Amino acid sequence: MSLRRQCYEWRNIVESAGDTVFLNGYPVNWTGNVDTVGFAANQPVDIFVGGIGNNIDIPGQLKAYQYVVIDAVAVYPPTLHAQIYVNTTKYFQDPDNVPSRNGGISGFTAPFPQGASFVTTAGSIVNIMNYDFKDGLKPAIIIQPGQNWGVEVTSSVAVPSIANTATGNQINKCFVKYLLIDGADAIVARRLLDAGWPLSVENVWKYKQDIIRSHLYAGLAPLPEEVSEAKRKV
Amino acid sequence: MAIRKQIYTWELHGDGGDGSSLVNYPRAGESHSILWGPYGNVQAGRQTGLIKENEFVVIEKIASTPGISANSFQITGVAPNRQLTTWRPNMFINLVIDTTNYYQDPQNVWASGVSGTASPYPQMTIDEPYYDLWPPVYVLPHQTVDIRYTLFNDIQLSAAAGSWDIIPQETIMAAVYVEYTLYDGTDAMMAQKLLQVGIPVTVGTIENYRRLLLEQKGLETDTFQHYLKLMESERERKKKEDKNQGVARYTKYGDGE
Repeated sequence: MSLRRQCYEWRNIVESAGDTVFLNGYPVNWTGNVDTVGFAANQPVDIFVGGIGNNIDIPGQLKAYQYVVIDAVAVYPPTLHAQIYVNTTKYFQDPDNVPSRNGGISGFTAPFPQGASFVTTAGSIVNIMNYDFKDGLKPAIIIQPGQNWGVEVTSSVAVPSIANTATGNQINKCFVKYLLIDGADAIVARRLLDAGWPLSVENVWKYKQDIIRSHLYAGLAPLPEEVSEAKRKV
Repeated sequence: MAIRKQIYTWELHGDGGDGSSLVNYPRAGESHSILWGPYGNVQAGRQTGLIKENEFVVIEKIASTPGISANSFQITGVAPNRQLTTWRPNMFINLVIDTTNYYQDPQNVWASGVSGTASPYPQMTIDEPYYDLWPPVYVLPHQTVDIRYTLFNDIQLSAAAGSWDIIPQETIMAAVYVEYTLYDGTDAMMAQKLLQVGIPVTVGTIENYRRLLLEQKGLETDTFQHYLKLMESERERKKKEDKNQGVARYTKYGDGE
């Protein structure tokens, strides 16, 4: 399984009120016991190791035989923003070349889930659709072996902690979808990148077809005359 | 019926009780199979999916009940007859081929899978999926496939919290949807052949390959001559190659060699 479509979902939920983080999985909740962790406005929170909500032990780092193609990121509520980083470089930046001060792409542009409901200040409920980035980021972000990567979320308003009573729309969420290329396909990915081709499932398949085809032809082709007619030396 | 689009759905319905049953509902955080697990409408034989030697399976979609917060449930009626009508299981699904999990997290260890929020079932107009299982997953002959779900909202603890009195049998607590294409018989052989030469296995490529085979059926004299000539030239090339490599023997080529 060397080409796999992976996803990671972050929520600011914890198992018990007073906790700030839940490691390596998702907390078990039940009615009357859904607790969220608050964080300050304009405070970037790493969804992998930020210490809020569900986290993993270590940041995302690619092994020598892995490539990652990040093709979609989405957040909720609309006041939340997502910023993708690779090593020390942030993807979204302002026109003055400074990393996005808002914190990246917002839930108004890329809501999670698609069609998420939002209560306007006038009190009406609207469903927000992602039209501009429905098929993900074009071009997709390619993470190479050995690089660190992650996603930070930043809220433009303070997010309060909610003890026990949090409902679906009160939970902050971030969803990231990516293609994990590992094993032999990572070598193909390297070749494609060297040749300037976009890293997509179809291109990896095509390259492998070409390799197999050239091997088949190589087996059928006659040897060059200078080889086939050469005198034996031993 | 050699190529068939298949769907498999798993549903966990209410048991008519209050939700405290440990027999009818899984505990949160535990992973169970939709094919042979102890809960819901699993297959009668309770067997994991074993792909036969004359089959080839391409899994194209997996989806499950959306919703995250256990507090987003809905009831009708008044105590002591409050009936649960909507439940948010906060569920994730994972594909397991033999002993390998499809989903892993960014630190390269086992993950719960894709959530119902990212890939919802049923799919509503305001609930479009973000997640798409692309490329599809091939399950080869003699491999086993399992689809496992994990609920993170606990039904028994929620029942103990006293938010409802009855979970009617009509209430769907959790559901999983799997869509796959089953190639069997000669089409499975063609799928294997396409796999060997690196061509994606789709209905279109299999049908195209079948057309090519049928076109070659019943060789014309010219075609036969063509292949004969090819084989002769290949034999000649091999002969020269053996000679150059010093592996030619007079027993093979006669005294003159």
